[in-house]
Amino acid sequence: MGLAVEAKALVKQFGNIRALDELSFHIKQGEIFGLIGPNGAGKTTTLRAISTLMLPTSGSVEIFGLDTVNQAGEVRKIISYLPEEAGAYPNLSGNEYLEFMAKFNTENQNELRETIKEAVKISGLGERLKDKTKTYSKGMKRRLLVARALMTRPKLAVLDEPASGLDVLHAYHVREIIKTYVKQHGVTVLLSSHNMLEVEYLCDRVALINKGKIVVEGKPDELKKKYQSQNLEEVFAKVIGYA
Amino acid sequence: MLKGFTTILVKELKELMRDPKILIGMIVLPLVIFPVMGLVMGYAVESAQEQAQKATLLVINNDGEDWSQSFIIYLNRTMNVAVLNDITPQEVVTQNLLTEYNSTQFVEIPPDFSQNMTQHIDGGDWNVTAMVNVYGVFQGGGIFSNIGSSSFNAFVNGFNRAVAPDVVYTSQSTIIKGEIQKGVDPATLSGLLLSQSIALPITLMLMLTYSMQIAATSVAMEKEEKTLETLLTVPVDRFAILMGKVSSTIIVAGVAAVTVLVGYNYMLGSITLGITTATPIDLVALGLVPSPLGYALLGISIFVTLLSALALAVIISAFSEDVRGAQALVGYLYPIIFVPAMVLIYLDINTLPLAVKAILYAIPYSHPIIASKAIVLGDYTKVIFGIIYVAAFTVVIMYIASRLFATEKILTAKLKFKRRGSKKTAEQQE
Repeated sequence: MGLAVEAKALVKQFGNIRALDELSFHIKQGEIFGLIGPNGAGKTTTLRAISTLMLPTSGSVEIFGLDTVNQAGEVRKIISYLPEEAGAYPNLSGNEYLEFMAKFNTENQNELRETIKEAVKISGLGERLKDKTKTYSKGMKRRLLVARALMTRPKLAVLDEPASGLDVLHAYHVREIIKTYVKQHGVTVLLSSHNMLEVEYLCDRVALINKGKIVVEGKPDELKKKYQSQNLEEVFAKVIGYA
Repeated sequence: MLKGFTTILVKELKELMRDPKILIGMIVLPLVIFPVMGLVMGYAVESAQEQAQKATLLVINNDGEDWSQSFIIYLNRTMNVAVLNDITPQEVVTQNLLTEYNSTQFVEIPPDFSQNMTQHIDGGDWNVTAMVNVYGVFQGGGIFSNIGSSSFNAFVNGFNRAVAPDVVYTSQSTIIKGEIQKGVDPATLSGLLLSQSIALPITLMLMLTYSMQIAATSVAMEKEEKTLETLLTVPVDRFAILMGKVSSTIIVAGVAAVTVLVGYNYMLGSITLGITTATPIDLVALGLVPSPLGYALLGISIFVTLLSALALAVIISAFSEDVRGAQALVGYLYPIIFVPAMVLIYLDINTLPLAVKAILYAIPYSHPIIASKAIVLGDYTKVIFGIIYVAAFTVVIMYIASRLFATEKILTAKLKFKRRGSKKTAEQQE
């Protein structure tokens, strides 16, 4: 199976701060890949570089063979990015928001209708989609945004902290959507999270990132075994020498 | 006292006073703006008085007898007088003698002046009075532009006190675009047009600041809600995103520009009241209401100025992280809107020193106000020049905005007021 993402020696410099330091990893097609690490480790910067939002200072990223710098326009057609704690337009209804976003990825009315129908199903928000998004709870908003990210069946979905800050039920819904929808439609997912348990549950493979570098990479079970740990949290602590 | 009140109060004060945006917006700006306004107003009054004193008063003596000579001698004591004999007021205007004598007004002493004076003073017939006809040129200037004409009335009052009470009366006429308008007092006309001098700049100030807030909020909201991040990763041209934002505010601003014009037209059209003169003043009849071409040019001028302000607001807001920050940043642009408006309310741009004039012409937001005065006098060249200048400025601003949208700067650019090179936000490092 070919590679969905291939990051090679990525460096991102913000003034004196080196946010990404020769970061390299790859994701296979159809995989759910988790990027985990503490605050300031470089997770969001990595996701932004992959999503064509930021230019790497050096190094490169290829998405299904397309370069994120030189072929950014083509990359944007096959990816979908969900920023951490993103909102929706408060004065648009859920339906209007989905329609607005779907128009960028669809060619005709039939395709548009089908895409929105898909989003309605994924979100599970039913009649509440007729209401303005400013009336939504945080969990409802996140479900709407996850639906937006997946409705176009992107080849690569980049999800930054998809379930962070949600209550148990909404977090459960979001995780189930990602798990089942992705497997059904063969979407490749790159997600970041602080929540190691969530990552362990969702991801086929994970990379632990610290100070802009990948410190360890592998399948969750293999990593736990290798570091003789109960969970990924413990693995991470051992790898960075905290435990 | 409430428990904990002082602790909270001190903390709030510390936070407020340490916020440089608040410090600059609420303390530094007023400390700068009001002295500037004071200087402008002081200069306006001073220059108007100086001009009135320096100006030559042209006297047309069509009487030629003793009393008219006495009147001129009395005038000469306080004013710089040039005397012409046996010429009609219309000839003064058509031969352009006012320009020749560097004057903005002239006085005609009619043929019966001495005869009436003699009858009143020597004959004791107090019902007979003498009349002098005053002709002032309408210049469409600033708020203090009628100081010159009012100083002549003060002189006549002085002459009456010296000779006989109420013996001399003045009849006021105005020269507008080379035509004598009998019975139209220049001071009253200036008073009527004062509403024009004040209303349009104030309306424009409000419209510009409001539109800039809308545009800045629109971009900042996208950044705050992170919808912009999402939008920048979908397959759409980034220039289209910028144009979509600017165009929507242009539509709002366009509606606002039309509303201003409709209101402005109504205001000018309704200024036909007599107020203090026996003869009603009708601005339409006097040709002091802009032509359809004038209105069209004013509309274009307002529109391009709004466009440049909106583009500037979009750029500025790109440097903020949230709505509050964007509104504060846009606030820093207000002085370049307010100061020209204030200056042009009080002063006629044609009377200003070259350096001040150049600064005012360089500020794009001066041009609609300059245009509003120029179209009344039919000076369309000045308006067209202003439109071209503001349009060029807008193109430059739009180009910068498009470059900003094309790069990651739209997400990462931040204006820092604290230590340079201070640590980046956690978000950037993450």
